[in-house]
Amino acid sequence: MHATVRSVIEAAGNSPQEVCILDTEASPEHLSRGTARYADAMLCIVEPYYKSLETGRRMAALAHDLGLVRVALVANKIRDERELEAVREFADRNGLEIAGVIPFDEGMPGAERAEAAPLDFSPDAPAVAAIAALARGMADANGGAAPGNGAATGLAEADGGG
Amino acid sequence: MKVAIAGKGGSGKTSISGTMARVLARGGHRVLAIDGDSNPNLALTLGIPPERMNDLPTLPRDLLKRTPEGAELTKTLDEVCDSHSLTGPDGVQLLVMAHPQHAGTG
Repeated sequence: MHATVRSVIEAAGNSPQEVCILDTEASPEHLSRGTARYADAMLCIVEPYYKSLETGRRMAALAHDLGLVRVALVANKIRDERELEAVREFADRNGLEIAGVIPFDEGMPGAERAEAAPLDFSPDAPAVAAIAALARGMADANGGAAPGNGAATGLAEADGGG
Repeated sequence: MKVAIAGKGGSGKTSISGTMARVLARGGHRVLAIDGDSNPNLALTLGIPPERMNDLPTLPRDLLKRTPEGAELTKTLDEVCDSHSLTGPDGVQLLVMAHPQHAGTG
């Protein structure tokens, strides 16, 4: 399966209007097989506790080894400033960028229980708004403003890094 | 833009992948969402009823051919999507790499 995923991503369109999003396997093993080699960017989703951050760091290192241009963490399920600070500190210490911060939001598990898309189940949820901002920031950073959306604004509102 | 979303199980990567795909499609991008998990559930977070995956044919085994550089598809991606993808809300195209019935064999 990994070789097929890799070739599908390679074959996906490169124009600014085209977007390919790969939801990867939970185990980091796929990374050593180069599944994401032809992606422009990898977002490593982390929660504010050590094991999750450490997995994110390992995945980011593997993605760097694959030669991905942009590798960043996304802090998810953040309940307060203290948790955000913990992720920031970890990112700084490891020279990692934080591309987005998504607040903890009951709407997300709620959507899962309702077997619905978060965007349909709770379109106004803070987490959905944060994911939307992340998505637009990624597209803008790639010079990929959609038609009719005006010009690309350059870099995403990236934070952290080292 | 081609972006891979990674993370531990339960980190929220599938909710984030699905929501990013929907938002960008709604904004006018042409979006291909690929479920690369051996236990696929991206459909749900895209708003595609999971049972629609039951109608999908499995990806053919001869989809790849070896090349000096590694491998490449034997069909165009459009052809693969025509026969093997689902179109969901906002026009997102979903390509599921591991068929639910065949989970774990990839």
